[in-house]
Amino acid sequence: MNRVIVVTSGKGGVGKTTCTANLGMALARLGRQVALVDADFGLRNLDLLLGLENRVVYTAIEVLAGECRLEQALVRDKRHSQLVLLPAAQNRNKDAVTPEQMKKLVEDLKPKFDYILIDSPAGIEMGFQNAIAAASEAVVVTTPEISAVRDADRVVGLLEAQRVEKMHLVINRLRPAMVQANDMMSVQDVQEILSIPLLGVIPDDERVIVSTNRGEPLVLAEERSQAGTAFENIARRMEGEKVEFIDLNVSQDNFLTRLRRLFLG
Amino acid sequence: MSADSFTTASASTASESIPEMVPAVSQQNEQVQFRTEAGQLLLVLPAETDPAAGLGWSDLLQQLQQRLSAGKRFWQFQAPVHLVVANRLLDGRQLGAIAESLAAAQLQLKRVHTSRRQTAVAAATAGYSVEQDSPSALNQATAASALADPLYLQTTVRSGVEVRHPGTVVIVGDLNPGSAVVADGDVVVWGRLRGIAHAGAKGNRQCRIMALQMEPTQLRIADQVARGPATPPTQFQAEVAYVTPGGIQIVQATDFSKN
Ligand SMILES: Nc1ncnc2c1ncn2[C@@H]1O[C@H](COP(=O)(O)OP(=O)(O)OP(=O)(O)O)[C@@H](O)[C@H]1O
Ligand SMILES: [Mg+2]
Repeated sequence: MNRVIVVTSGKGGVGKTTCTANLGMALARLGRQVALVDADFGLRNLDLLLGLENRVVYTAIEVLAGECRLEQALVRDKRHSQLVLLPAAQNRNKDAVTPEQMKKLVEDLKPKFDYILIDSPAGIEMGFQNAIAAASEAVVVTTPEISAVRDADRVVGLLEAQRVEKMHLVINRLRPAMVQANDMMSVQDVQEILSIPLLGVIPDDERVIVSTNRGEPLVLAEERSQAGTAFENIARRMEGEKVEFIDLNVSQDNFLTRLRRLFLG
Repeated sequence: MSADSFTTASASTASESIPEMVPAVSQQNEQVQFRTEAGQLLLVLPAETDPAAGLGWSDLLQQLQQRLSAGKRFWQFQAPVHLVVANRLLDGRQLGAIAESLAAAQLQLKRVHTSRRQTAVAAATAGYSVEQDSPSALNQATAASALADPLYLQTTVRSGVEVRHPGTVVIVGDLNPGSAVVADGDVVVWGRLRGIAHAGAKGNRQCRIMALQMEPTQLRIADQVARGPATPPTQFQAEVAYVTPGGIQIVQATDFSKN
């Protein structure tokens, strides 16, 4: 059974591309055939996060224009051959592609892959419409901030209207200490508004930024990190495994706060 | 949450009410509506007035999807639907999209009522029966005096969505921050009310807003406005907002029904 999942958020910069890269890599490591589709035309950077920038020759645009075959545009990951990337064009604007064309591309990819993850651009305009056109599932990414949650809520409504009804929530950049000090929305606060099932919680972690700069997804790092484990857990949950949510507080907790600890991960 | 703080909350809400008058809603665009007339299920699309100001196709489709999914439990399996489009131009692709949405909710597009020749041709080509009514015969607007049937929506009304209805609106679900319900009758939220609710939007001050959990951004009844309390209470009971000579008041539902 192959699944087409759009990773989207509404608000920009909340971690869609980071999630797409890490989940794609984690799923590939679980033995799945994974295609990542960069639908952020004009502002592509999924190739950067994967460290594949220098291997991009063709993009989706050339495939659509009939200038190359789909297979030629796919960039196979150097570390995991189970993972491929379909890059977006850097120099064209977002209106270069239509939702029908995206559907066609994804249809053509479908037979060969277990997972097709589509990295959506920010916003709810044409680029977003393109990204969701072919998807039957969505991972909605938000940070625990009012403005991000508000935009995520709008996106959930739009996805419902487009009948992308299978939706899951990823809360990124959570800072447990701030939640405990009541300075940040808690997982429950976010869930209460969005009311879609929680797929995972990723802590705010500077190693995410380091891995971004290195072009090496965190799930590949030898030294384990909570954020990396959180991504792996999400991938396993996507595979249908029941994985406990990690308690992000455990390391810095005293007894009292642990009594009312929040189960996250 | 004690009764005391409710009184405080409502008192402060009341004192904050008034200054701005609510803008008239009457000239705002109508929305997609399901109506039952003479035993037939009608899907009425708003008339196209000024194309620039009117409801765009994608908004229209989104409203339709939402009404369909929010009313899911009540549609009769494979019930025939009469699509009333008045003077709106629809091409074959758009008719197809409407039929597809209806089909996903187990409803069947059967007949298209239109006053436009082009739409009639498109509908006939797509294989639907067509009735080319004159615009006046379509009885587009509900009679000015009577309210429309209540609109019952089982859904979360999410940020960016505005539900307008010329009658009472019942939401079984939450009204999220950034959303709005504008009703000519009452607004009943069987859930958390965190967005904007406007009851009696055509000016009826007798209308009420009821919610299991009142945390509104703003409440409006007829021409009155009240902001929600700055610090939301931590516990909730069902409450009712209504207009008093001093502005909008909120009381616990259990107390309200005793009046
Ligand atoms: N859990 C995290 N901890 C720390 N930094 C993070 C985390 N997740 C993402 N970031 C950082 O946030 C920035 C934005 O991330 P990313 O590019 O994935 O967001 P995006 O949603 O794809 O943005 P855009 O809307 O521009 O496409 C990056 O610099 C990334 O390293
Ligand atoms: Mg991105």
